[in-house]
Amino acid sequence: MRGHGFLLANYVPGTSFLHRAPLAVKFLLVVASGLASFVIVDWRLSAAVLAALCGLFLAAGAGAKRLWGAVRPLVPVLLVVGIFQGWQLGAPTGARIVLNILVCIVAASLLTATTPVQQLLDGVVRLARPFERFGADPERFALTIGIMLRSIPYIAGTFADVRDSARARGLERNPRALVLPVFITSVAYARQTGEALAARGLGDAED
Amino acid sequence: MPAVTFDQVTVAVEQDDSPHPKVLLDAVTLRLDQSRVGVIGANGSGKSTLLRLVNGLVQPTSGTVAVDGDDTVRAVRHVRRNVGFVFTDPLSQLVMPTGREDVELSLRRSVKDAAGRRSQAEAALARFGLLKLADQSIYELSGGERQLMALAAVLAVDPKVLVLDEPSTLLDLRNRELLRRTLAGLDQQIIMSTHDLDLALEMDRVLVIEQGRVSFDGAPAEAVAAYRPWCLNGLDPAATDTP
Repeated sequence: MRGHGFLLANYVPGTSFLHRAPLAVKFLLVVASGLASFVIVDWRLSAAVLAALCGLFLAAGAGAKRLWGAVRPLVPVLLVVGIFQGWQLGAPTGARIVLNILVCIVAASLLTATTPVQQLLDGVVRLARPFERFGADPERFALTIGIMLRSIPYIAGTFADVRDSARARGLERNPRALVLPVFITSVAYARQTGEALAARGLGDAED
Repeated sequence: MPAVTFDQVTVAVEQDDSPHPKVLLDAVTLRLDQSRVGVIGANGSGKSTLLRLVNGLVQPTSGTVAVDGDDTVRAVRHVRRNVGFVFTDPLSQLVMPTGREDVELSLRRSVKDAAGRRSQAEAALARFGLLKLADQSIYELSGGERQLMALAAVLAVDPKVLVLDEPSTLLDLRNRELLRRTLAGLDQQIIMSTHDLDLALEMDRVLVIEQGRVSFDGAPAEAVAAYRPWCLNGLDPAATDTP
């Protein structure tokens, strides 16, 4: 099984100002970037925001290779979206939509590349604490986020394995030979993960 | 040493194509209180079911399993704190992107302070010489490193009993030897299924499982001697199918 860096960069140890910045500030940066993608209507402004975020990513020492790794899997989708929107709504609008998606991806990668997962999970626990009065378990919220971060590369790796396997059998153009095994493997992975968590007593309600 | 007891334990599962349930384990009664217990048997014989009962991952259809007196159904949470479980494939077990994060995840319930958790995780990783690999993606680790990482994550909470389901099956010779040496140095009671008969010979006691029953229970050398001919039976060329 291969694992793939997919959409979000893994944590890179460091001492940059972004590493030292409070989690709340970085979280607000991600939220603001998400909101900006709705508010910004000029592609040049989107490009400027994206350039600024890329600059921050590089200043954090996470590296251009990791930045490209976070964006690369999305390039084919962005091309399709950009061409379609450009055709339907004009080139500036198509460019703005693509750039705004990139803004969200780079902002989220900035958060995950400069924040250890455990710190992220502690932050999620703090955020979810008010829901305890309604019977929610904040640790479960955190666990869900952690598992999501781990599962995305696993499923991407499964897709690459299945694609190779289909290619070896001359079935690369058969969508069923690609989709069905990925679906079945993903369900099996979910079951295994549940079992692994149960074996370690994780995910149980607090005593 | 903790005692793991099985009292008339049967595990059966419903079958789609038959009105009769399939019996995975049949009326097994055991008391395991040796430091090292090996479980050998053919694929599908019921080894994994037997091991999963110890951690409460599988519940008996009838009978009871207890670890140090705690019933694995009624006191499952307490049992899981005392029984660590290592799966065959560490990728199924490591649920965080890096080893350090996975070990810290194990500690989240017992150590609330983040700094304390970090230092305990580092100590657990250092114990197995894994500190230099702590921040690497688990996908970048070798099979042996992953298996040791999974072991470190389980041992970080200091369980009394360690259950391992064919831990060396996916490992090469070098990593198998590394795992063997690591396990030999642990204080925990170990209950381990394996197809590695050399590893089984190092146990204090070995159970042979055949079709859901314990067909032999005793000294490792005798267990292996009893298992080998039974397992290889039927491989005679005359008995093979012809087209």
